[in-house]
Amino acid sequence: MTHLVQAIALGLLIGGVYALMASGLTLIFGVMRIINIAQGAFLILVAMLTWWLWHETGIDPILASVVTTPLMFGFGWVAYRLLLSRIRGSSASMSVLLTFGFALVIEGILNITAGNKFKSATPSYFEESFRVGGVSLPKAQVFGFLAAMAVLAVLYFVLTRTWTGRAIRAATQNPSGAALVGVGAASTAALAFAIGTATTGVGGSILSVLYPFFPASHYDWISRLLGIVVLGGMGSLPGALIGAGILGLAETLTATYGSLNWSTLVFYIVIMVVLLFRPQGLFGAKLREDTV
Amino acid sequence: MTASSPSGNETHARSGLRVPHRRGRGLKAVALGVVAALALAACGTRPSESAAAGDTSKPIVVGISLPLTGDFAQPGSEAKRGYEVWRDMVNAKGGVLGRKVELKITDDASNQDTVVADYTKLITQDKVDLLLGTFSSLLNYAASAVAEKNGMVFVEPAGGAPNMFERNFKYLFFAQQATAPHQADVFVDWIKSLPEADRPKTAAYPTQDDPFAKPVIESMQKQLEALGVQTVYSEVYPADATNFQTIASNLAAKKPDLVAQGAVFEDGVGLVRSLKQLNFSPKVLFQTSAPSNAGQYSDAVGLDNTEGVFYTVSWNEKATTPLNADFVAAYKKAYNADPAEDAADAFASAQVLQTATEKVGSIDQDKIRDWLHANTVDTILGPLSWEATGEPKGQFLLAQWQSGKVEVVAPSDVATSTTVVNPKPAWK
Amino acid sequence: MSRLRSLPRAHLIAGLCLVLLLLYPVVNPWQPYPQGVMLLAFLLAIQASSWNIISGYAGYISLGHSMFLGLGSYTVGVLAVRFGVNPLWVAPLGGITAVVIAVLIGSVVLRTRGHAFVIITIAMLLAAQIFAVNLKSITQGSDGITLELPFWDRDFQNIPFYYVYLILMVLTVLFSAWIRRTKFGTGLVAIREDEGKAASIGVNTTRFKIVAYAASSFFIGMAGGVYAYYLTFINPVGSFAILGSVTIVLATLTGGRGTLYGPVIGAFIVQLVSEGATVYGGGSNARVLVFGLALMLVVLFLPKGILPTIEAWWRRRHPEKVEYTDQAGALSRVPVTATERVRAEIAAVNEKDEVAPGEILLDVRGVSKRFGGLTAVDNADLTVRKGSITALIGPNGSGKTTLFNLISGGMAADSGEIWFDGRRIDGMRPWRRGHLGLGRTYQVTRLFKEMTVQENVVAPLPDSRWRTMFSDAVRGHEAARARELLDIVGLGRFANQPAGALSYGQQKLVELAQVLMLEPKLILLDEPAGGVNPSLLGQLTEVIRELNRSGVTFLIVEHNIPLVLDLCDPVVVFSHGAPIAEGPPERIRTDPLVLDAYLGDDWRPADGDEGTGDPADDRADDRADTTTREAVQ
Repeated sequence: MTHLVQAIALGLLIGGVYALMASGLTLIFGVMRIINIAQGAFLILVAMLTWWLWHETGIDPILASVVTTPLMFGFGWVAYRLLLSRIRGSSASMSVLLTFGFALVIEGILNITAGNKFKSATPSYFEESFRVGGVSLPKAQVFGFLAAMAVLAVLYFVLTRTWTGRAIRAATQNPSGAALVGVGAASTAALAFAIGTATTGVGGSILSVLYPFFPASHYDWISRLLGIVVLGGMGSLPGALIGAGILGLAETLTATYGSLNWSTLVFYIVIMVVLLFRPQGLFGAKLREDTV
Repeated sequence: MTASSPSGNETHARSGLRVPHRRGRGLKAVALGVVAALALAACGTRPSESAAAGDTSKPIVVGISLPLTGDFAQPGSEAKRGYEVWRDMVNAKGGVLGRKVELKITDDASNQDTVVADYTKLITQDKVDLLLGTFSSLLNYAASAVAEKNGMVFVEPAGGAPNMFERNFKYLFFAQQATAPHQADVFVDWIKSLPEADRPKTAAYPTQDDPFAKPVIESMQKQLEALGVQTVYSEVYPADATNFQTIASNLAAKKPDLVAQGAVFEDGVGLVRSLKQLNFSPKVLFQTSAPSNAGQYSDAVGLDNTEGVFYTVSWNEKATTPLNADFVAAYKKAYNADPAEDAADAFASAQVLQTATEKVGSIDQDKIRDWLHANTVDTILGPLSWEATGEPKGQFLLAQWQSGKVEVVAPSDVATSTTVVNPKPAWK
Repeated sequence: MSRLRSLPRAHLIAGLCLVLLLLYPVVNPWQPYPQGVMLLAFLLAIQASSWNIISGYAGYISLGHSMFLGLGSYTVGVLAVRFGVNPLWVAPLGGITAVVIAVLIGSVVLRTRGHAFVIITIAMLLAAQIFAVNLKSITQGSDGITLELPFWDRDFQNIPFYYVYLILMVLTVLFSAWIRRTKFGTGLVAIREDEGKAASIGVNTTRFKIVAYAASSFFIGMAGGVYAYYLTFINPVGSFAILGSVTIVLATLTGGRGTLYGPVIGAFIVQLVSEGATVYGGGSNARVLVFGLALMLVVLFLPKGILPTIEAWWRRRHPEKVEYTDQAGALSRVPVTATERVRAEIAAVNEKDEVAPGEILLDVRGVSKRFGGLTAVDNADLTVRKGSITALIGPNGSGKTTLFNLISGGMAADSGEIWFDGRRIDGMRPWRRGHLGLGRTYQVTRLFKEMTVQENVVAPLPDSRWRTMFSDAVRGHEAARARELLDIVGLGRFANQPAGALSYGQQKLVELAQVLMLEPKLILLDEPAGGVNPSLLGQLTEVIRELNRSGVTFLIVEHNIPLVLDLCDPVVVFSHGAPIAEGPPERIRTDPLVLDAYLGDDWRPADGDEGTGDPADDRADDRADTTTREAVQ
């Protein structure tokens, strides 16, 4: 029984972190209809940066997101202006290929600069756990979860309470309508891309503590995140949260009761089953996809 | 243009031919280019004739393709250093058969296609005199097949996966003491040497699904079960597993005396950390190769926590094998760093090839092959000898972390320390 | 006409290269290394050409295509080890496994439009790796499978592989060329250009995409089988590597996505450059970086690829003379025989109906459609009688175009029923409705701009038979019919022009010809007169009358009231999502309700754009802007 509780608790903690990582991806997709394949590479980039900061200065990796988040915001803004804005208006497949290339470039640069080795940040609390009843919750996992939730709350606040956020949501729901009321599509897009990228600032910092990583890890991460987004419905933020929770749980439960070997596969199986019965995902709006 | 009627083939063809010079020029250029390319390349001998006795005044060229980039860049670069240290040491003593040694090293980018192309090129195009192997089984499988096809002796520093030797290749030699299923034999022997009462009663066997780690643990489990050690946990996890909390909590719940993990590197670190989080410390902890990455391992788990951890290894810096001290010194001088096991394995491979060539007195591949099948070679790893399949017949070294350093504790003839830490102290 | 001339030129050069490649090992047999490099280029070309079918022609990007190579390798490897057969003899089974898996994945993912596909392709590549690792009893897990060495003399080591791959490459290119020539191929390009439109002209997009995905996997799977034998060893990490997919994408993109020879050229470039980098590049750890940079640069600066860029350059240097005169008098040149034949065909189709002339052909019963809080169509009833030219008029935003979308299947109604020709159709996919004889044009034309005018007209499928799908689109009956239809609308001369080069009015006529290809019983025309110059208008009404005389029924949305009153009977007036009046034109003209609807709060100039408040029209509005701009130029 404690076993089950432990597994569920771990699953939810992981799910929370997944949710944060997927939120940026789904936000970018929602506003721009761009699947940012480089999102996984951004995460690894931040993780590497965080690791380096931690290694050099001893700053807490999760707190380091205070530095990495604005950095990634700027990075996202520049990346949008320099790269993605150039292919605005061409087909969606071009943006997939462009961001795929971008991911490879980041991987390649990290290969050269940081080397092809596994890294992992290990702050002092790394090996400690909170004990609640018979259940032990690793501190790193808990801190990561809390940080993720805090950022998601901020994101939610920005999207619902500020003009900028409302503009972004308007652009998601109805681009030309938004344009009519004075929401500039280009600047909203740049902003959304920057915010979406900024979430990797926190996500990557948490990743650096929770998981060992190396430059090519980004394939794993992007397929995991894309899985969550497809499951939740592309472009839907609540969908990303629920999808992340479901997949976090599925992964941990399979690892506990089934075989660890198959736990990654559960991800893909869940996705295929959902697509089979609900092609639009759990929360996806079917409206536009099927419109002639 | 008048050729606007789209009625059938002939019109197409004719309308095409009606612009003779412009098209003709293009075609001619293409044709010329290809003919030139053909002419340039049209030379060479049959691959089977390539092993002709070379000019004895020229250096002996040894062809190697290594994963200097990509997934296996780490061991690949170490192997390169090992080979280069060997070359410099040999040349300083006048070379092999009185000829200088030259290495021709290409990068295969950890890619199977490229490693095949590389060795094909080295053998058939560059006509190298001798071959040395590459790193990782993945690449050695494909590379050794090229060597076998071309009748070239292939001494590999890595690639101990068991089915490597199920193919009955005649030119393949693995230059380590044992293949994966036999690497834990030395650890099992040590347990056997303990008094019955002191032996672990229960054991847990988590292992990564890795062609080198898993067979070690599987074979150990079998041998220990025969010895009466009860298996309480056994789990194979995927190579990309990143979360070890689940394994650790499942495992700790069974409270085994011995934890034997098939760990490549990061998974070894991950499990130790998770066990520490749960504050479960087994009496005996064995990990396959993770603890051999000296500095990295102690940094990652904390120096205090390394105390008493066992692992098996092909080579140790302090080993008293012939030339080992020279190798370590030369390596340190050249690269200003401690040599890694991979570099030593590469060095040993080169020693194997060198010894056979010198004993045979020529670079005749068939003679070298026959000699190696019949004899034992002394290397910095210790003496090596082979079955007909190229599988080695020796034993690994059992090493243990003691007071922040690595000591070889078995077999006794090469041991650097006579004390063995048992049981392992609790986590710090 | 340079297109025609460039066609055989390309084929001639390709043929010459093929002869040289065939001769190469004969001239120079004892060189396994260059042969090895070439055969890997062939392998990449096979993969790139295959990938081009789904991702080039149909525009659905697959980032996990190297999975099929691995599947082929494993199929053949497992069979060879288990039954002791030579891998070469069972290599085609590798292709079959690939096709089976592609159909399975495709039928889950390709049912919808959009982005799930690209994501799933990456996921499936990684999933395949996990399967290969874990299905130990079959695949031997991460230990991998070792195969015997080739049976032939070592002197010939790479030559047999060289020829096998060369032949496979030629077959792949021929296969790809054949697909592009069929209506299947035209349909795929239609899907890439505008999937919704493709569905409305009878293209069963789901089936087309799944078949394309399967077709793009077969030769890769087969090549994978041979590849296992070539390497003599397969394991999960090597067989399902994502970098393999990267090379495929890069090769095709470099050469020219969607072209026939582009992928092959790209494959040779990528393979030779990367081999060159290995030999001369030294040990720089930059391969991934270089691949990534190359991919980005190609996407940003050479998005069409080398081959199309060269073609465009060639065409600029050798411009062709085509008169883009407008349509005045075009109809007078229509060959009478063609018109007669088409009219006879259409009449024949319409005679077979269950519904007799004068009876109800289309019956809309209580249909509603809401967008959030806005009710665009509100419990609307509408009947169209067979043989009539029914008009649907009403102020902007009254829901006319939405109603069209509901009838043609572009959108699903929230409630109500739609019956057509005695069958309930509101649950049917758009292409089924097209097959039943329901055609439509768009307020803003939606031609496939990258296709020629003729291809545009050949593309529609009047039925769901496989035979129709694989019939020749370049020559033969279908192409001849398309030319006849083009002649009817007076645009025969432009058959081989890109559709995007035509004026707006001409595009409207092409779209009409396109619909005629469906052998329709009912044509929905959405503002046929909008943006068409007045001199053309008379001709257009003439065509409509002609077709109507042959038995085609029309439902027309139009703002040009004089035209409506002249052409149509009856006239239905729509306001706030439902009809408010119906009757002969002379009565509608004087109906106070109608005048109120038009001249009340909602009144706007009659030629204005419809539907700015209608979410469904947003995209159409975007199009309208660009097209109008083009028309002005």
